[in-house]
Amino acid sequence: MALTLAAAFFLPLFPLSIVFNGLLMRLSNPYARFALVLLWPQIGIAALSFTNQAIPEYMVIWAIISSGLYALRLLTVRDLGLWAGFLASSSLALTWGLAAHHTPVEMHLFAFWFSLPAALLTLLAGSLSRRFGAAYAGLYGGLASSMPRLSILLVITAFVAIATPPSPGFFAMLNLLQRLSLLAAIGVLAIWLLWSWAATKLMQGFVLGADRRHGLPDLGSAAILLYMGVLCVFVVTGLYITGDAL
Amino acid sequence: MNQPIALLLATPLLSALLILLLPNLKRHGIARLSVGLSALTFAIAVISLALYMFHPHPQWLSSGLAWGSLYLDPLTSVMTMAVTGISLVVHVYSVRYMAEEPGYARFYILLDLMTATILLMVSAGDLITLLVAWHLIGVLLYFLLGHDLVRPTAQRYAFWSLFTYRLGDLPLILASVLLYKAYGTFAIPTLFERIAENPDVQTVLGLPLTFAVAMLIALSAFARSAQFPLHTWLPYTMEGPTPVSALMHAGIVNAGGFIINRFAPVFVHAGLVLHIVFAVGMVTAIMGSVLMLTQNDIKKSLGYSTMGQMGFMFVECGVGAFSLAIYHLVAHGLFKGTLFLDAGSMIGNARKQDGVPHDDIYTFVVERKPVASRMPWVVAAAVTLVVPFLVLGVSRWLVAGDFIGQQGAVILLFFGWATGAQLLFATYRLRAENPWRLMAMIILSLIIVVFGYTVIEHAFNLFIYPDESLRNRIYAAASIPLGTFETLVAILTAAIVLGWIATYYATANGKQQSGNTSAARLAIYSLISREFYVSDVYAWLTQGILGLSQRMNVWLRWV
Repeated sequence: MALTLAAAFFLPLFPLSIVFNGLLMRLSNPYARFALVLLWPQIGIAALSFTNQAIPEYMVIWAIISSGLYALRLLTVRDLGLWAGFLASSSLALTWGLAAHHTPVEMHLFAFWFSLPAALLTLLAGSLSRRFGAAYAGLYGGLASSMPRLSILLVITAFVAIATPPSPGFFAMLNLLQRLSLLAAIGVLAIWLLWSWAATKLMQGFVLGADRRHGLPDLGSAAILLYMGVLCVFVVTGLYITGDAL
Repeated sequence: MNQPIALLLATPLLSALLILLLPNLKRHGIARLSVGLSALTFAIAVISLALYMFHPHPQWLSSGLAWGSLYLDPLTSVMTMAVTGISLVVHVYSVRYMAEEPGYARFYILLDLMTATILLMVSAGDLITLLVAWHLIGVLLYFLLGHDLVRPTAQRYAFWSLFTYRLGDLPLILASVLLYKAYGTFAIPTLFERIAENPDVQTVLGLPLTFAVAMLIALSAFARSAQFPLHTWLPYTMEGPTPVSALMHAGIVNAGGFIINRFAPVFVHAGLVLHIVFAVGMVTAIMGSVLMLTQNDIKKSLGYSTMGQMGFMFVECGVGAFSLAIYHLVAHGLFKGTLFLDAGSMIGNARKQDGVPHDDIYTFVVERKPVASRMPWVVAAAVTLVVPFLVLGVSRWLVAGDFIGQQGAVILLFFGWATGAQLLFATYRLRAENPWRLMAMIILSLIIVVFGYTVIEHAFNLFIYPDESLRNRIYAAASIPLGTFETLVAILTAAIVLGWIATYYATANGKQQSGNTSAARLAIYSLISREFYVSDVYAWLTQGILGLSQRMNVWLRWV
């Protein structure tokens, strides 16, 4: 039971998720944030794989409620770094839906499919903070005109993060829904809807609107190629692994 | 894999990819490339349909993975041709229309991706592929409608569309999960075979599985095809570029009718769901038509007209006339696309000539034309009630003699009767030098249209649903107890006959309404002008949810 509770810190369930989000807020280095979002859930899954006990049903209910709470809160978050953390808290909590089936490989992959795009968003938050002093939706806007490369990357990463097909998250969600009871599946679908709403709201705050800031450099060619390359490999790998595993 | 159908999907994707990879391509180069490949896609669709007509056997084409398969059947063949045809028209129209707009390459990339995704949806051979395409259409539509990155209203209404589409995605996902859990396959033809063998293998919350799945699919279709109360996004989609509005109203919004047809083997086991579909379609048709008549903006009026037409399409599904819904979908796509693309010219012409007819004295004294007159109202009313009834009845009897036993066919005849009567009433109201001649010509036109329509619709039905037993089972599922049906027919007949007689009498003998408007009329007017307050309710709910989210973040100190 202690290991299960410890796992709830790493596969963040409210209120234990405060630790994850608090840490993410305190870290100012984007690469440290990237590493935290990517590695933190994997520790939780490793901890769970050492438990011999069955995961109680109430843990799954707790996870869905916690995920729903963060999805709801996501709607009014405007700081991109914090948004990535809340989205990770919401999506990673759903890993508990697979925990009852004792499938550690699937759980590791599920967490990876959701943590990598969220981690990339923290890096993009770092890029925006370096240019504008803050990565805050609605503070400036019209990035599509002034920084088209960064905008495209931001939009694609956000849509991948909310499990839009053909991202691996989409197939992972379908796989998860098959494992859940009908009521739990309805809850997860409602959470998925809130993610879409929140992502659209966030994008509108950053990318759209009249261009109000000129003269700041867009992402370089190397950076955009690297980011897009990572996303392409991520999607293709996901299609190969999750697409065929259904 | 069948070459035409695979090429069909690959061609628009290739167009999008080439435009993306050739950033130095000028606007006319982009247009030539995209329009050329769009024309090629249409040609492939025509060849694919022709090949299917020579070898009418459905094919399931596997990708070798658990998903990514394609299914070629009559429904796919017809839909691919309609989609590629409308897409080609929109591509050609956009060449000049979008010439001055920023983001020309982005627009054509999105248009090509949208075409490819719709084609994937109509030819999906498994539930996962269907879900991928279904979901992606909403996302791509969001970017197309929000093409103007600066205008807040374009973004707001693009978001409305995306949210409603995502809302509609969820029931279809749940239905797919339930079907997979019950039958252990995602492949659509295998799934239908297993459903036919054992339709109610499980129950869901105490309800038969097929009922639950059919209800979920219907909910998904309601959101996708703007059925009341999920319609609010549709009239506002004209905030996007006009070619996107045309594509939206002519093609994308029809997806609801397609999905019901695709899952026809599920709906034959869920008659109650078909009755619900009928009721929702009827309410939507009435609301859409009422709202259409009260708009003063041509594009918004067309938007509500689409809502009404979608309602009629669901009514057709609800009475079991599934193939008629597809025929309606294609016909509506063509005429609504034309209307949208022509809306700009209409506005331009209206600014030059208001179109208001001159009064009788002006016509007689200034234009030196004889004063126009009308037929006697009693004769016109008799013609209006008898002629459409006879024409429709005889035409239907010629193609299917036993139609009296099919409740769906009888209900559709009522719709035809009411529509034909509307046409003749409009003719009666037109004053003419020789009203008898005018009425005779209109009746002749009505006969030609009705006979042509009935023959085409009958052939279409045989092509889409060649299996007679499936056709009969769909009609049987949509039927209600005979006594109830006969009572409804009697009430409806009395309402139509008395209603038209009263209308003719009032038109011939009534006086113009003038003076103070009653409070009840004002209340009805404000209800309609506020679009039944549906958007206001959604705005209120949205504010509530966002307020709750903000309060929770403040209480929990943003961690």
